[in-house]
Amino acid sequence: MCGIVGYVGRKEAAPIIVEGLKKLEYRGYDSFGVATLGNGIELAKHRGRISENASSALILKGKIGIGHTRWATHGAPNDINAHPHTDCSGTIAVVHNGIIENYALLRRELVARGHTLCSETDTEVIVHLIEEHYTGNTNLLAAVQAVLPRLEGSYALLVISAKEDCMIAARNASPLVIGIGDGETFAASDMTPILQYTERAIFLEEGDVASIRREKLEIFNQGSRVTRPIELIDWSLEDVKKGGFPHYMLKEIYEQPQAFYNTVRAVNPDTVSRIIGCNPENVTIVACGSSYHAGLVFKYLLEGACGIPARLEFASEFRYFPPPVEGLVIGITQSGETADTLTAIRQAKSHNCRTLAITNVLGSTISRVADMTLFMRAGPEMSVAATKSFIAQLAVMMQIANITCDQKYNDSLLRAHQVIEEVLLMDISEAVTLCTNAQSVFFVGRGPFYPVALEGALKMKEISYIHAEGYAAGELKHGPFALLSSETPVIALCMPGETYAVMISNIKEMKARGAPVIAIGCEGDREVLDIADIFIGLPGSSVFVQVLTCLVILQLLAYHTAVALGRDVDKPRNLAKSVTVE
Amino acid sequence: MQAVILAAGEGKRVRPLTRSRPKAMIPVANRPIIEYVIDALVKNGIRDIIVVVGYRKEQVTRFLNQLDIPIEVVVQTKQLGTAHALMCAESKIKGDFLLLPGDNYIDPHSIARIKDLPNAMLVKEHPSPSNFGVVLLNEGFVTNIVEKPEHSPSFMVSTGIYSLNMEIFSYIQGNDLTDAISLMIEDGHRVRGIPADDWQDAIFAWDLLKMNRRLLSTLSPTREGVASRQTVIRGSVRIGKGTTIGPNTVITGPVVIGNDCTIGPNCCILPDTSIGSRVTLEPFSFIGNSLIMDDTSVGSHSRITDTVIGERCSLADHTSVSSATGLMEIEETAIRSEFGAIFGDSVKSGPFARFKNSLVGNNVTIEGSSSICTRCIPDDSMVI
Repeated sequence: MCGIVGYVGRKEAAPIIVEGLKKLEYRGYDSFGVATLGNGIELAKHRGRISENASSALILKGKIGIGHTRWATHGAPNDINAHPHTDCSGTIAVVHNGIIENYALLRRELVARGHTLCSETDTEVIVHLIEEHYTGNTNLLAAVQAVLPRLEGSYALLVISAKEDCMIAARNASPLVIGIGDGETFAASDMTPILQYTERAIFLEEGDVASIRREKLEIFNQGSRVTRPIELIDWSLEDVKKGGFPHYMLKEIYEQPQAFYNTVRAVNPDTVSRIIGCNPENVTIVACGSSYHAGLVFKYLLEGACGIPARLEFASEFRYFPPPVEGLVIGITQSGETADTLTAIRQAKSHNCRTLAITNVLGSTISRVADMTLFMRAGPEMSVAATKSFIAQLAVMMQIANITCDQKYNDSLLRAHQVIEEVLLMDISEAVTLCTNAQSVFFVGRGPFYPVALEGALKMKEISYIHAEGYAAGELKHGPFALLSSETPVIALCMPGETYAVMISNIKEMKARGAPVIAIGCEGDREVLDIADIFIGLPGSSVFVQVLTCLVILQLLAYHTAVALGRDVDKPRNLAKSVTVE
Repeated sequence: MQAVILAAGEGKRVRPLTRSRPKAMIPVANRPIIEYVIDALVKNGIRDIIVVVGYRKEQVTRFLNQLDIPIEVVVQTKQLGTAHALMCAESKIKGDFLLLPGDNYIDPHSIARIKDLPNAMLVKEHPSPSNFGVVLLNEGFVTNIVEKPEHSPSFMVSTGIYSLNMEIFSYIQGNDLTDAISLMIEDGHRVRGIPADDWQDAIFAWDLLKMNRRLLSTLSPTREGVASRQTVIRGSVRIGKGTTIGPNTVITGPVVIGNDCTIGPNCCILPDTSIGSRVTLEPFSFIGNSLIMDDTSVGSHSRITDTVIGERCSLADHTSVSSATGLMEIEETAIRSEFGAIFGDSVKSGPFARFKNSLVGNNVTIEGSSSICTRCIPDDSMVI
């Protein structure tokens, strides 16, 4: 999981690359590096964040350059392991996003042939292999093309050489976009670094190699020249700015009413009936992290409201089950690049299952792999902790469930954004104080509120670093009860409906163990108000909307707790926005 | 040239409409007041704009982020006063700047008059000057400002719009800006008082209707929604995307209707009416001289005039609102008023409810057939 940027043009490359890397920091930020084609290859690479230490990179000269911001997979984050990597002579530089699986073998071969490899990374083998093929009468493009068949695994590569005024880009299973500017060309892991210069982009396909020169761009696949369509990207740079908000996460939380409404409106009933309509008896959902929680909500709603059985698996575990013989497999990923989900969808496809992708990023890998794609309209999400993309995922899936059961919930889905807006006005400072002082926090719920509890706990641990666990309320008695004390607040989701009565008795049991209870219920509910230590009353509505409102209040709770504890909300330690390695 | 817009204060006298937004964000003719201020600045070529936010700052910031031009946001954590708000932006100010309230309408021409003068303020005659800083002028220069006097010596009031430079910061002592300006004048600085053309401030919620009328008159007609062929549309009418208007509906402009609304059939919309987005007007309703915000629905056979309705309200069938005069208690003072009704956000009222000259708070539930006349109903209450 890393971010890469490249530039070929008439301006100084270093400042453009540094700016671009800052925008890609959400993909990883433990070390960074920049190489430019000035007087030979000029190189600067450091441990740490580019936003804190860019000065050494900014002074590099040259109008062609590549850069990398890293999230360590092979080798610790330090100056030597930081990209770009160079060959023995220091005339070729490479940045790489992905994992080379056969790197140990390649490395042994290279060392046996007398190369000096100084880092512990998998990337360094690539540049030395290129060095071997880049002799006398071959050009850089040919050398890269000769090396690629030897690499197993995933990669998005950018290569420059001191001997040629060009940049070579190659991709296999890692994202890479080329931006076409006015007399200049960009390459990056996604559109965010490119947006401020151009909106015309080419998404490279698997196995593509691009030769980028000032005057022309050529793309090859399997050795023959191909053309790829230029797509217009309608995200404006305004969309990816923090605006006046202190954190991206808060901005994105407040954008949720709009994201939900836009997404619900964008999911077309005809498309959904076509996708689901053929064989609704067998639905499998694969996802990771927050997306898995969204999938779990979907499972409850689809089975509960529509009577369609749904199976849900972690994408990373999907391959260890015998695949479904037939049916629909739905892969959910915000970025569309999550490696595990991609693998699962590919696997389902190879077993002749119909596949549907739900993603936020137009032109992302999963939308090319899956048979059909539903896009959520959340806009770019910058915060590592997913908020508006999560709500937009729910919007897509609630709309699917709604359409599948004769649009019973149309009205509540179209009005849901208003209720979310109401929740954004609520004051939760008491609950925040209680959580801020806690070592660990439990989240419990039943039915569709169980995944909400899981997501609430995930948000809390992700950004506040407080140990938080989500449980199905009934499961709490089977073990975790031993952990309850007056030091462990429990957040109980107790909304009116079929789970209500049992939740009340669960809360009483937890109170009896001395745990302070923050109950989230429906406003005006005297019974919950009386038994809970802190009561947060949400506006009344249908179960679909209750799920959303509970979720938003838990996001706010996690956010304000993290801020109160002084955490780096947008870039929590050890985490990256999307996980493109398995 | 820079401009600083103050949008941190709630605007308590406009309650209940300020529960989910500060006064500057109240939509008038379907755009928040602050957007008119920003527009007027941009028309004068001023693009370096700083907005001071405070009350419900997330809502304001989210809105500012959607605008085409980049706007710098500064947070005032406690709303102590105008001078304090300006101090919050001090570090961002580089030289001459304009200072404007975000919750008053101002036309671009008036800004053009003041922007190149050092130390000047826009002034305007107002029929109820004691709600403002009253300005005494001598040959075009300000001699004295009296903040909210009980017996006003003149009808000329300060609009709160100033052209200033860095010097002002050395005169700020308290939290109030008029004090600083007075000190500056005492100290021998000459401050011009320039008359403004068109300046509108809604002191109380019902004043929004007048502002609405004024701003609607500037709109040009556009038609993006779908109107039935049997619809009669006269005058300047603006209909947003995705809105459908049923047959036999009569709309007489100036009227603005937002996106994704459902109107009619057989509705009648009279002049000076703004209707937000996703609003439903059920058949046989009659609306005039009113301001209806987003996501509200009005039941069939209703008659609503001289009324402001907040977001997410649901008024059932046969609701009747008619205008009357009466005394309203606002901040412990009795104010003479004339309007139909003001509804806060999320008001639910049953069939056959009748309203006359009443302020209905946020989240109020009203049972059917109630009759409410010259009353203030507090937030979150229930009328049986």
